[in-house]
Order: sequence, then structure tokens, then C-alpha cells
Amino acid sequence: MILMLGFALLVAISLLSVLLIKQAQDDARRVTRSLQIMNAVSQIQILTRRAESGQRGYLLTSDPRYIYNYDVSRAAVGPAFASLMQLVEAEPQRVAQVTALRPLAEQKMAELDETLALQRAGRIEEALAIVKGNVGEEIQRQLVDGLVRIKREEDQALQSYLASSRASGYWLMLVNAAGVPAVLGLAALAIGLARHSTTGLRTAQRELESVNLGLEQRVAERTTDLKEANDEIQGFAYIVSHDLRSPLVNIMGFTSELDALRGDIFTRLAALRESAGAPESPADLAMKADFEEALGFIKASTNKMDRLIHAILTLSREGRKSFAVEEVDMGTLVEQIAASMAHQLMARDARITIGVLPRLTSDRLALEQIFTNLIDNAVKYMKDGVAGRIEISAATTPGFVTFSVADNGRGIDEKDRGRVFELFRRSGRQDRPGEGIGLAHVRALVRRMGGVISLESRLGEGSTFKVTLPLRLPTLDRMQER
Amino acid sequence: MSNHVTVVMIEDDEGHARLIEKNIRRAGVLNDILPFTDGTSAVSFLFGPDGTGAVNAGRALLILLDLNLPDMTGVEILARIKQNEHLRRCPVVVLTTTDDKTEVQRCYELGANVYVTKPVNYENFANAIRQLGLFFLVIQVPEAS
Repeated sequence: MILMLGFALLVAISLLSVLLIKQAQDDARRVTRSLQIMNAVSQIQILTRRAESGQRGYLLTSDPRYIYNYDVSRAAVGPAFASLMQLVEAEPQRVAQVTALRPLAEQKMAELDETLALQRAGRIEEALAIVKGNVGEEIQRQLVDGLVRIKREEDQALQSYLASSRASGYWLMLVNAAGVPAVLGLAALAIGLARHSTTGLRTAQRELESVNLGLEQRVAERTTDLKEANDEIQGFAYIVSHDLRSPLVNIMGFTSELDALRGDIFTRLAALRESAGAPESPADLAMKADFEEALGFIKASTNKMDRLIHAILTLSREGRKSFAVEEVDMGTLVEQIAASMAHQLMARDARITIGVLPRLTSDRLALEQIFTNLIDNAVKYMKDGVAGRIEISAATTPGFVTFSVADNGRGIDEKDRGRVFELFRRSGRQDRPGEGIGLAHVRALVRRMGGVISLESRLGEGSTFKVTLPLRLPTLDRMQER
Repeated sequence: MSNHVTVVMIEDDEGHARLIEKNIRRAGVLNDILPFTDGTSAVSFLFGPDGTGAVNAGRALLILLDLNLPDMTGVEILARIKQNEHLRRCPVVVLTTTDDKTEVQRCYELGANVYVTKPVNYENFANAIRQLGLFFLVIQVPEAS
């Protein structure tokens, strides 16, 4: 803002200088013209005087040399007036003055001509009478008065032009003198401002750097906190599942013992009956059935609980396992998985199409588990009576690759699309073995690898699982760095 | 295993202890089984009141050890046994739920003779214990010096 004002000042100073210079030029032109006018006026004065003195000389001496002087001067008066007229043409007042004087000069010349003509004719007495009549002298006086007035007025004008010129020069000097410090000041101001803004920028940059540093530190701290919390949860899951196993072993163990005992009891009962000669009663059979039912439920439940604990244990163990990063050819890996499922595929009349898959720098085992689970699910939940089609393809984006595992199977109801990724949750008809672990495991793995998994599905038409993974799995060191 | 061998069973879960005993018996092992449900009482039996282990000199002991004990870790007991001049030749069978690789390695490094993971499935568990019992029938156990 100040800089803008400064520049405006500079521009004003420059404009003023130009104006003043122009003014000085005008003044100089006027001074010149005034001098020229005065000169021309003097010229006319001299010419009329010379003409008169030539006439007087001739009247006195009758010497033709005086006639020559007279003629020359007489001839020059007209052009002198013309040039004076030219000089003053811009000033109406002067034009009027000069125009008024011209007839006087002509009258004077006419009078002179007349006397000379009388002289030449030998009528010298008449000529002298005219001279003595003072008519010519009166005209001459008027003419000279007029000319002198013009000169005087022109002189006054000249003085004022000179004063004005001096004033212009003075102002020009003053303006230029003011311009120099203004330029210097402006330059200093500009430098100061530039330096100030540079300092400001540098300070801001430094602040930004320190803020960034703080931010990174905070991120690192949060990451550590999260990692600790995560480790704690993993450790918790591991301990819980371990400690849950111990009592379960007892429940299962003693249930088996009870089962064995039941056999012993009924064998003994039968033996006692036989020795007592009593027939087998239906109450015995009912008791046997009740025993069997109770034990059956306990066993089924403990088995289920055992599988769930096992699942938690597996997940928590997977969560703690570190990745071994290596070059993995996904095409080969998926082909191997498909080959290992050849039997199931044949049994269900299903076919797998594998597109062009990229190479990843990642953990082979994790990738195997992810795709085995997804393909296994696709095979497991085929639609009855339809030839199964499973398509595996990949699309690469910078740094990432998105794999699609698409099937024409049963599909997943919209309301279950989030649930299927949760632990122990399953969707649709529960006619296939499973605990609802596979997809939870897959999602945990994909997340740990820095990827995402999503599901598109239409009930009764098929499902497409999309897994986006980094082309290059960050190593643990780099993850901790971040 | 000759009859004078005593099985020292250090297992905090009494149910497990009972199941182990039953299944060992089913394998035909008739030797004495001394159960301990915590580390402290087991240590005081093994090393005696003076803590030297001399109290067991001349006896043949086979030690069944669970790693998860309420008052101390089984690994600690294992280390003490294997560093004791009287007891270090006693076979120690670690029988525990942990199948963590580093834990297994650590136990063998400390001198464990056998490391067995308790299978969760009861049939497998019973089977494993019976096989362990059969194993007990054939191994030779030296007397503590």
C-alpha cells in the first residue's frame, strides 16, 4: 500500500517535471517572440527615422545619395510591418495596435514622398513649407509613440515571461530535488518491505517446520499408542482364548468320562436285572435317551465353543504375526489355489477363469489365505443347478492393485453385506459347514496389509469381492517410521 | 518304567490333573503319581526344606510340568530343576496349552526332555496322555544322585 503511494508520488513528480519543462519551453518561446517583436518595432522606428533623415538631407543638399538612403528605407518599411504583423498575429491586441500604426507610417511616407516630389520639381519652397507645417512631425510623433508603447508593453510582457521562466526553472529544480529523495526513499522502502516480507516468510516457514515436526511427533506418539492398544487387544484375545480352553478341556473331558460312566451304569443295570430276573422296563430306555440327549447337547456345544476359541486364537495369532515380504507372482499363486480346489470345483461343475494378474511385493502366506478364503467361499456358496463360474481379475492403479473375485453364486442379501465380514457372522441358508471366520480373517489380513476389501452382490445372481492391496507391502521398519 | 519311579505332576487345574491321571492309568501305568496344584508346594517337595534337592537323592522322579501356574511360571521350575545337581537328570515332560514356538524353543533350551501341547479336543487329549503313559512304560528313568 505504502509502495503504491510511493509509486504514485513518483509518477506525479515525473508528470510535474514534464509539465514544468513544457512551461519553460513555452516561456522561452514567448521571450524569443517578445524580443523579436521589440526588434521589429525598433527596426520600423529606425527605418522611418532613416527615411526622414534621407528626405531632410536631400531637401538640404539636393544630393542624390540621400535619395538612395531614403529609397532603401522607404522600401523596407512595408516588409518590416509585414514581418511585425506575422510575429504578433497570435495577439489580437497587438494586431490592432500594429494595424492602427500602419496608416500613420503610410501617411508619413506619403508626406515624405510629396516633399521629395516637390523638391525634384524645383518647388523647394513648397516642400519646406510642408516640413515646417509640422504635419509630418506630428504623424511621426504619433507613430513613434505607438511603437514605443508596443515596445514598452512587450518589455513588460518579456519581464513577466522571464519571471515565469525563472519560476518554472525554480520549480523544476525543486521538483527534481524532491524527486531524488523520493526515489531514494521509495527504493529504501521497497528494499525494507522486501526484506520484511522475506523475514516474515522465513519465520513462517520456520514455524511451519516446527509445527510439522510437532505434528509428526504427535502422529508417531498416537501410532505408538494405537499399536500398544492393538497389541494389548491381541494379547487379551490370546490370553482369554487360552484361559477359556482350560475349563473347556475339563468340561469336555469329564463329559466323556460321564459318557463312559453312563455306558458302565447301563451295562451294570442290565446285569443286575438279569441276575434279578426282572424284565427291561421302558423307563430304562427313556432314561437312556435322556442321557444321550443331554450329553449330545453338551458335546455339540463344547465342540462349537472349542472351534470358536480356536478361531479367536487363530485370528489373534495372525494379528501378531509379522509379514515376510517377498516377490509374489499372483497369477501362479491363484492358479495353485485353483488347482488345490480342483476336486471341489469338479464336484460342483464349476470353472475358474484367471485373468492377467500382476506381481506383488508382499507376504505370500497372507495372500494365499486371502484368496483361498475368497475362492473357497465362491465354491462353497454356488447356486444349486447352475454351472459355477468364478472370475478372478486385477486392475492396477498407481501403487495399488484391485483384485476382483466374482462368482455367479447365491449372492448376499444387502442387509448382510457388512455383517459377513464380522467374526462368527454368516449370511443366507446355513447349509454349509463353517464358523463365520473366513471373511473376518480376510478383512483383518487385508487391513493389516494396508488395503481394503469391499463387496458387491445381488441376491440370487452372484457376488464380487474387491480386494485393493498395495503393490509393495510396507516393511515393518517403514511402517514404524511413519 | 520300573515301579519305583514316581511321577510328579505339577498342574494347577485339578480337572486336568484328574484327567491326566485317569488316562495315564488307562495306559497301564501303575506308578505313584504325586499331584501338586501350585508351584510353591511342588518346589518345596522337589528341593526339600534346605532347597538343595538332596532330599530326593536316590529316588527316580519323572516330572510332568504345566507352564501356566498361578504362583510362578513352569519355565522357572524347569530352569531350577535342570540347574540342580541332584535333579537335573530327571526327565521333565512339559505338558501345556501353549504352542508358541518361542516358548517351545525356550523350554528345550532350558533342558526339557519332552514338550507336549494339550490338544483342545478331548479325544485327542485323552489319546495324547495315553500315549504319554505308554511312553512312560518304556523309558528308563535314572535315580537322582
